[in-house]
Amino acid sequence: MGRPRAFDETEAVQAAAALFARRAFDGVSVDDLVSHLGVHRNSLYQVFGSKRGLYLRALRWSLQHQVRPLIGADTAVLVSEPALDLLLMAATERAPEDPEVAREVSTILAELDTAVRPETTATLLGMRLRARVTREG
Amino acid sequence: MAAEIRVDGDTLVVDIIGMDKFWALKSRLEIPLAHVAGATLDPGVDREFKGIRTGGTHFPGWLTAGRFRKDGEMVFWDVRDPNKAVVIALRDETYARLIIEVADPRATVDLVEHAIIRS
Repeated sequence: MGRPRAFDETEAVQAAAALFARRAFDGVSVDDLVSHLGVHRNSLYQVFGSKRGLYLRALRWSLQHQVRPLIGADTAVLVSEPALDLLLMAATERAPEDPEVAREVSTILAELDTAVRPETTATLLGMRLRARVTREG
Repeated sequence: MAAEIRVDGDTLVVDIIGMDKFWALKSRLEIPLAHVAGATLDPGVDREFKGIRTGGTHFPGWLTAGRFRKDGEMVFWDVRDPNKAVVIALRDETYARLIIEVADPRATVDLVEHAIIRS
């Protein structure tokens, strides 16, 4: 195993989650990840295997630590919450072509549906999408 | 195009094309899918220091082909056009990474990543 791996994995995953939430998977290059995360290219491949490997880690981290704690929160809180953005991006961009992403997204949507009605989940996500467009959130 | 990549059962097969066999000192690599950690389209990888060449050919700006040692890792290169470079990360193999030029990088990344998910 090569040498350059002096970085905090969780911090890198969090930074990646924020980057993917803003720009989506295809909008983020390895150069972007290297510069924003402060991680050596070698380390990125050693630890995460691929850009997709890092994306999956970032998505799972975001769902576990950002989205799941919000389940049951007030609608106004959820709509103003940028933490939903990676879920939204994953649902629209990656889930249709990546079965592992689809599984993660389906699981959290089912949890949201249990907390509120499925129509409310759909409305919430739609309102969050709109908030992104109007930069209200 | 420097190489063709395909999946044959549980094996990732990399066939080096044409004269690149000569430059890279290699004609084929076969890697068990269980040892493939992932694949990424990465044009920027070519701008990085490649390490010490231990076999093969390196004409900066034109061709990188063969074995390079960097940070204690062995990396196999076969790239002329960095815009078509795909990085395939490996585990428990001689090479930590294969950096290969292919005709359709996006399709190759999808092929490898989906093969890993299935395996």
